[in-house]
Order: sequence, then C-alpha cells, then structure tokens
Amino acid sequence: MRYLPLFIAAVLTGLISLPARADFHVFACEPEWTALARTFMPDAHFTTATSYLQDPHYIEARPSLIAAMSRADIAVCTGASLEAGWLPALLQRAGNTDIQPGQPGLFFAADHAQLFAPHDHVDRSMGDVHPEGNPHVHLSPDQLPNIAKALAERLGAMRPDNSADIFARYIKWRVNWNFHSANWQERAKALQGRSLVIQHTGFGYLLRWLGIDATMDLEPKPGLPPSASHLNQLLADPRLEDAAAILIASHQNQKPAQWLSAQTRKPILVLPGTVTDDSKTDTLAELISEIINRLESAMPEVANGSL
Amino acid sequence: MLNRIVPFTALSLALLTSGAGANELNPDVSLTLDGHYKQNDTVLSHREQGFGLGHTELSLSSPIDDLFSGRLTTVFEEHDGESEILIEEAYLQTNGLPLGLNVRAGRFLSQVGYLNGRHMHEDDFVERPAAYRALLGSHYYDTGLRLNALLPTPFYWQIGAEAFSGDQLSEGTEDIGVYTLNTRVGGDLSAAQSWQAGLSYLHNRQISVDEEDHGHDHDLDDEHGHDHSHGASYTGENLYIADVVWKWSPNGNTREQQFTLSAEYLYADDLNKFATSDDYHEGWYVSGVHQFAPQWSAGIRYGEVDLREAHGDHFHSQRLKETDVMLAWSRSHFSTLRLQYTHQSATGFSNADNTVALQYVVSLGAHGAHGY
Repeated sequence: MRYLPLFIAAVLTGLISLPARADFHVFACEPEWTALARTFMPDAHFTTATSYLQDPHYIEARPSLIAAMSRADIAVCTGASLEAGWLPALLQRAGNTDIQPGQPGLFFAADHAQLFAPHDHVDRSMGDVHPEGNPHVHLSPDQLPNIAKALAERLGAMRPDNSADIFARYIKWRVNWNFHSANWQERAKALQGRSLVIQHTGFGYLLRWLGIDATMDLEPKPGLPPSASHLNQLLADPRLEDAAAILIASHQNQKPAQWLSAQTRKPILVLPGTVTDDSKTDTLAELISEIINRLESAMPEVANGSL
Repeated sequence: MLNRIVPFTALSLALLTSGAGANELNPDVSLTLDGHYKQNDTVLSHREQGFGLGHTELSLSSPIDDLFSGRLTTVFEEHDGESEILIEEAYLQTNGLPLGLNVRAGRFLSQVGYLNGRHMHEDDFVERPAAYRALLGSHYYDTGLRLNALLPTPFYWQIGAEAFSGDQLSEGTEDIGVYTLNTRVGGDLSAAQSWQAGLSYLHNRQISVDEEDHGHDHDLDDEHGHDHSHGASYTGENLYIADVVWKWSPNGNTREQQFTLSAEYLYADDLNKFATSDDYHEGWYVSGVHQFAPQWSAGIRYGEVDLREAHGDHFHSQRLKETDVMLAWSRSHFSTLRLQYTHQSATGFSNADNTVALQYVVSLGAHGAHGY
C-alpha cells in the first residue's frame, strides 16, 4: 500500500518515456545489484560502476560513468553513504531527471534493509563510520529477500508491461534463495563460534549470520589502512590465538594480512567481496555458497566448534 | 499536552529522531583549512613567504527543492595584515533538466580548462601552475550564468557556455564582460584507464573597450598589493585552453594506487589595443602524480609561461619556467600534509627563486564528492 503513490508516479513516468526508448538501461553502483536486477530483467542493458577488484568507497565520477548515468532508466546502489564520495557528483553531472534523490529511478538497497550498528553520534576521529550503519548489506542472507522484493516492485512499476514477468522471476529467485538459505543454515552449525581476523566489515553481515566472531580487524579504524602499530597491537591480542584465518577481500592489499600470517602462521583467505564474472560466483547465492565453502575448508575441525 | 502522556523514554527517543530530522534539513557545512610554511618568495605566487594561511573555505550546500541545489563558499584570506572575506561561490543549480541540460546561476568557478573548475583544496600541488596564476588568477570565478548540455552519445560529451560580469577578471563597464565556451569528451580505455580531454575559449570583452581608463590594470606593480588574489595579472581578449587528463589504477581500484597525468596549454591574444600579432601570452604544464599507497602520493610538474607585460604602448617580455616536486601524506580522506620543492627560472621577473614549502589541507564537516 505504501508503494502506491510511488507506483502511480512510476507508471506515469514510465508511460511517458515508454515510446521514446525501446530498451531499459540499468546503472548499478556495485556488481551485486547488476546480478540481482539481471535476474529480474535479463534483457535490460547494464552498466556496472565497480567490480569486485575495486573498493566501492573510492570510485571516481569519471566521464564514462557520467555518460552511462545520463542514459540510465534506473540507478541501483547500496546507499547508506557507501557511495558518498562519488555518487552525488555523478548524479549532479549526469543531470538525469529520472535519477535524483527521491525519484523512483534512484534505488538504494540500504533503504530496504535493517542495517547493523547505526550510530547516533559519528565524528571523523572514529574513522569512516557510516551513521546509517554498516552498508555492506548485500551478503546478508536475511536482508536480501527484502531488498530483492523492493527492487522487483520498483522495476515492475517502471516497466508495467513486464511487471508480471518480473514478479514471476522474483518468486523463482525467492524460492531458490530460501532453498540456499536452508542449506547455509545447516552448514553454519559447524562454523558457529569460530573466529576470524578481518579487514573492514565487508563480510560482516554474513559472518554474523553464520555465528562467526569477526571483531579483530586489520584496520585500526573503519576505512583507514592497516598500520604497523595497529598490527602489532593485534598480534598481542589474546583472542588472536583462536582465529582460524585472516579473511580479506580481493580488492584489498594483501601485505598487512601476509605480515600477520607470517607472524602467526594463520592462513589467509582472499575472497571476492561481491559477485564476479566467474561462473562459480556470478550470483549472490553462488557467491555466498562459495564463501561458505572456503570458510569450511579454512576451518576444518568441525567437532569443537560450537560453544 | 501530548508530552504529559508520553513516557519519558519514548519522549527522549522522539526528541532524538526529530533532532536528526531537523539536522537533515540544515545545509551541509564544510570547512577547509589550508596553511603553509614557505621558505622563499616566488614569482607570481599567491602564497606569502614564511608561515601563512592559504585558501580557508567555509562552504554551505544543500538541495533547495527537487529542482534546485544551492551552494555558498566564502574564502577568508589575509594579505599584508588585512583580512578579506571573498565570496567564491554563491549559486543555484538545477538537479537535472530534460535534454541533458544543466543550468547554474550566481557566482561560481568558470569551467574553462581542467583545473579551473576544481576547488583549490583538491589540488595536488601547493600552488596552481604558473600559467594559471598569470592568466586566470589561479582560479577564475565570477557572477553569471552557465548552460551545459550532455549530448546523448554513447561516450561522454559535454558542451557548455557561460556568461559572466567579467569584473573578477579585469575591470570594465560591460554588463557581460566575459563569455566562455567549453567542450569536454572522455571515456574509459580499459578497466584500469580513463581519460578526458577538453577545449575552452574565454572571450574578455573588457580588454579593448576600456583600455584608456584602465590601462594601469595590467601594470602589475601598481595593483600587486591589493589585487593579487582575485583578478588575473595578465589578460587578453581571447583565451584558448586545451586540456587532457589520463588516469590509471590497477584494475581501476583507485583506493590502492592511481597515476594521474594531466596537461594543459593556454594561449591568450589581443592583449590590448597596442598589441600586434606577435604579442600574446602562452603557457603550459604537464603534471604526473602517483598515489602509490592509500595514504601516500608523489608528483612532479613542469610548466612554462611566456608573457607580455604592458607598458603603455609597448610590451616587455617575461618568461617563467617552473618545476615542482611534491610528496603528500593523507592520514584519511580528510587530511593531507604536503612537502614541495619548487624551482623557478625566469627572465623579466626580479624575484624568481627556489623554495621548499610545507602545507596542510584538511576538511572538517561534510565532504562533497569530488569530480574527475
């Protein structure tokens, strides 16, 4: 019901723009949203601003992205200030009337999720903390269905002719997700209570869902690169002994993790922080399955895991 | 009335949320602090020898409604013990119009060239290239109107025109003293490489018209004391700028590493009514900056400028060659410390020198997204 005004507005703008454009352009800030939107609208054109090899906080509003944004019908982004360093400049320079804050053409996944650790008070001495909470919500098995539903509704509203197909694909996605989710839940039992050293909170939602402790961070403050003094501090942390591995994302510099690994003989797990072009990890469900596979092989002793 | 029946905890919660809501209605406040120590005085410099403050900016910006956004940037400067408050930006701008159009009105930085439209605190070196300092007063801003159009091409192609009062560049009586034309194209060469190129033209109508009354404008010595931070010291009726930028990061991951190569060429002619076709200003620079780690960058820049200084009915030639080498450390995205060595060699200037400069640039509060 609360989407009704939005729906009507979207239908009206959709009807006006329908004859002019034969196809549908989706601009995704991160590849996970391309993967999700492609599930619902496989025939649309996609531009993805970032890849799993890039830190999504630090992208530039470069000319190719401005051109793509100006052509797009919808921009699908994470929100919660993840793209604060570049998306506002991109929106302003592209000047796309449909894709502006408050318009249906700008979809923020974080608006449809409950973020972890929102802050009432934030200042810069805390590092790059997002007042809205941890924005890396795309790996949350519980939150994704909400986001996917909202995205499917939005796309359907913008393309009413295709909305039945979009809804059918969403239902199919949802069934598949539930199936996967049950499987992950089963496998989480063996991982529960284990701990990892991480670098940034990119995998935070999934690790928490799996019951893995991930409070030891190579970053001294969120968003600051690992420093020698902080790594030494970490080395003296008594909790370090229990950590099964050091988990970092593909786009991160491996040197700090390698240093800690050399000191502690703990294995390093380098995992893509989002979907990739590889067929093993090109959807979010496959990515999460793959991450769990890798975690399982990094934490082989099953029996003593749970508390 | 309502308060009495709401339990205390709920009340405080309500206050908190309403407080956050009100805060979101306030404009974003952003303050830039910029200070330096400079060993020696240099030619065409806007930074004083010794300890000094640079571009201290206080900026307020916010969406006005769904159609407009607005921004005010005031700059606090001090010259020879006198404090000045300058309005560098005070504009409203559309948030998207049909046909890829974009309008900006009020006071703003002209979009000519690559550097001019950028805020000074984004710069990679302590000062702008000599050609910018001479021909644009480091950064040319003025009061006027801009119309830009993003063309519906598969690559990035923008065209734009601006009309300005022109009084910030040189004195005059024209209502519209300056107009500019600009076009910009750009794209990606691969995931790792991107580029942009631009051509700009600036027409200064106040050069030929008012020459009799304001011939002294160009006499650097007369005006130097007061005027050196705003207007350009050297002007011409026509200014042409060509710029090109190329950026490279492994896998496009600018967080870890980025190399930026930029170059600009500036040419100004019709300097005044006495100028012959041999009298023109010309300058260029090439800059390479390598951010080799998330917090570190190093850069080198070489530039030249050939100028014609007006002396009544004739000109004196001036020439400046400048090399800058810098190393910068950024603790976070919001703080930068920079060490720079500048080598100048000049003819026609008396005070060319080499200098070491140490600079900090920090930003407090909201931090607007940067352009390319």
